[in-house]
Amino acid sequence: MSLYGYLTLAALVFAIGLFGVLTRRNAIGILLGIELMLNAVNINLVAFARFHADVAGLVFTLFTIAITVAEVAVGLAIVIAIFRVRRTVEADRLDLLRG
Amino acid sequence: MTLEALGFWVVAAALVASSLAVVLTPNLFHAVLYLAAALVATGVVFLLLDSPFLFGVQLLLYAGGVVTIVVFAIMLTERLVGERLTQTSRYVVNGAVVATAVFVGVAGFLIQVPRGGARPALPGDLTPAIGRALLGPWAATLELLAVLLVVALLGALYFARTED
Amino acid sequence: MDPGVRAPLLVLGLPFAAFLLLAVVAPVRRAGRVAGAVSILATGIALVAALVIWSDGTDGAATWAWIPADGGPMATVGLLVDPLSSAMLVLVTLVSLLVQVYSLAYLGDEGAPSLGRYYTYQSLFAFSMLGLVLSPSFVQMFVFWELVGLCSYLLIGYWYERPSAARAAVKAFWVTKLGDLGFVVGIVMLWAATGTFEFHALFAKAQEHALAIEGLGTIMFLIYLGAVGKSAQFPLHVWLPDAMEGPTPVSALIHAATMVTAGVFLVARAQPLFALTPGVLTLIGWVGAFTALLAASMACVEGDIKRVLAYSTVSQLGYMMAAAGAGASYASFLHLLTHGLFKALLFLGAGAVIHAVGTNDIFRMGGLFRAMPQTGVVFVVGTLALAGVPPLAGFFSKEAILAGVWDAEMRGPFLMLALTTFLTAFYMFRVVFLAFFGRAHAPGHPHEPPLAMRGPLWLLAALTVLVGLRLGLAQGGAHHGPGWLAPASIALALGGILLAWATYQRGAVDPARLADTFPLSTLDFLARRRYGLDALYGGLYRGFILGFSRLIGWIDRYLVDGVLNFLSAWTLRSGDLLRRVQSGQPQDYVYGVAFGVLLLFIWAQWWR
Repeated sequence: MSLYGYLTLAALVFAIGLFGVLTRRNAIGILLGIELMLNAVNINLVAFARFHADVAGLVFTLFTIAITVAEVAVGLAIVIAIFRVRRTVEADRLDLLRG
Repeated sequence: MTLEALGFWVVAAALVASSLAVVLTPNLFHAVLYLAAALVATGVVFLLLDSPFLFGVQLLLYAGGVVTIVVFAIMLTERLVGERLTQTSRYVVNGAVVATAVFVGVAGFLIQVPRGGARPALPGDLTPAIGRALLGPWAATLELLAVLLVVALLGALYFARTED
Repeated sequence: MDPGVRAPLLVLGLPFAAFLLLAVVAPVRRAGRVAGAVSILATGIALVAALVIWSDGTDGAATWAWIPADGGPMATVGLLVDPLSSAMLVLVTLVSLLVQVYSLAYLGDEGAPSLGRYYTYQSLFAFSMLGLVLSPSFVQMFVFWELVGLCSYLLIGYWYERPSAARAAVKAFWVTKLGDLGFVVGIVMLWAATGTFEFHALFAKAQEHALAIEGLGTIMFLIYLGAVGKSAQFPLHVWLPDAMEGPTPVSALIHAATMVTAGVFLVARAQPLFALTPGVLTLIGWVGAFTALLAASMACVEGDIKRVLAYSTVSQLGYMMAAAGAGASYASFLHLLTHGLFKALLFLGAGAVIHAVGTNDIFRMGGLFRAMPQTGVVFVVGTLALAGVPPLAGFFSKEAILAGVWDAEMRGPFLMLALTTFLTAFYMFRVVFLAFFGRAHAPGHPHEPPLAMRGPLWLLAALTVLVGLRLGLAQGGAHHGPGWLAPASIALALGGILLAWATYQRGAVDPARLADTFPLSTLDFLARRRYGLDALYGGLYRGFILGFSRLIGWIDRYLVDGVLNFLSAWTLRSGDLLRRVQSGQPQDYVYGVAFGVLLLFIWAQWWR
């Protein structure tokens, strides 16, 4: 498969992840959507690394994965902390940023 | 169609299907499981792209670690609420439109470029090259990453602590 | 410092120093009589210095650069001493001093801070008027001209709590300002054409016939407009009768002897320039004579003693202007000096009467001669001088004017002035007979005024007689103009006195019946309504100026403020709308990011 096939696949997964972020009500559900988006980015990076024979893409992917893991951990910790206070994880109710 | 191409189409289909399932299932727990499937599919894509090392990393960290964390989080929040969280979605049509638009935008760029270009030859396994790169030009980044992980760990611990 | 400069500087500087002291050091000012003493002292020494200058006969100028420019200063300040200005110096300081002394008694009932304020204004006025007569250039004269106008406003409106006084002050200001507008435009145009404001430079150019510029007639007419306003010529005479709202000493000083004469002084000073525009001079002559007659007619029907004197002043100013217009500027200036003396005398005498009786209305007075003989005597002396009876001062100056006008072959003005002589005698003796003779029905017990008021009265009366005698002796038997002029003017005066005596003392002629006969009835009707001029000005003012200010007010409220209110309301409303973007829902923010990304895609697609 050519590079662009992989890129299109990644774009598709990215769009699906975006859809999930936009529509999910549960905060954890939104985080799942974000996971999908980051995944799609990784596919992109690895595909570029393969088709340009550059190892930097792979290194970058490693970094991305590591950072994502950290982000998930912290994010879920925040979700749990909010849940303790507000007794809900519904994104609709978490409107403290309201102007 | 070559074996490689066939493999691609199968994995791609699996990936897309499980991704859709992640975002569309009402049940959050099922969504996590579908996410695990999607992450594994991605790992296979990495394999197809001649990166076995990354396939391993993906399985360990993502499919293993992240999914476990999310499951734990669901358990905690679900437990505290006392019931299974059902999922309803918000403004599905709007979200679908925007997501489709983004995809079309990116695809629009991709279409304009001519196809073709085979894979260049690979000098064997890239894993040692990755290792050398990590300790070589990317050493500083690696160290920073380590710092980031420590900070994240501390932050997560702080947030998740119980109030005494 | 040049010794010749010291005396004029003293004359000018002392009243200014008194003003500064009183204006800045409030405790001195608030102790009313102390302020009066300061002012009187300054004016007294200034008078001595002025007498020294006058008797010395100095003639010269000293100037200092003021506004620098290439090729010599654009404007200078300085002192110009010549026979014209030194005579004025004496007149101004003398009448100022007498009036200030008189005011100590006349305004004795005023509160001390208020009295201090009065003397501050008096000092400022003395300084301004002296600066005006000592000016060596148009621009300095204009500066002091405006200062004098300011003092007039301040002093007319001295009792500012009275709405009529406040209105009168504003009216004086507006009307004279109209004239001043012409004045300033005129001098600027003159400067644009000649490049200088200085008198000596301009007069030198006029002598060498180097002043044949386009529109000199217009320029001199505009400058004359300033005199029209300040010297209450028709049609800008309407402010002077209303200016009587001020205290009587103020009327004596500035609306008889000094400020209003500034216009005549201007015409006399700029006479070399006016001589180049005979058309303007003729206009000045006609307007002057017409003003004299008009004002005299209005004086005949006035019942307020100060108003009668005010119209009389307008009338006499008309005489002076007519003489200037006829080219007899010596006669004009002579009348300015003599009139200053006896008109101040009349006003101060009227003040004594008002002080004693408590009213201005002559019909409520009567038989005051018995109660106040000294006042009566000096008032009659002043009236005789005004009527032009020899050997008092007024006769000689008035005769000189009539002769000058006749010699200039201005028949129309001459007839008007002759008729005015008759009327002047008539209306002044009308006042004398009504107020001082006849049955006494004034309320209260009128009595002689205190010495502070009587002293100036006697001094002015004595001066009137002495100056008259001096003029008579200097002339000897020679008369100005045609031989029949002197007897004719005396006859007119006596005729007027006779008519007044017959009407008001004897009762042989009923004034009401006299007024009803045509054509006197129409004149009487018009004169009582001041020929509708006040109504006309009032209507124009209300219509145009107030209408304009209402329009501006509307624009300010609805357009200017409206724009601001609209902007602020719009800001508030749009802020409110924008607030709704901040829903607090994180997914809405992600929508925003996604939209941004889409926009970036579109931009990238189209711009590449």
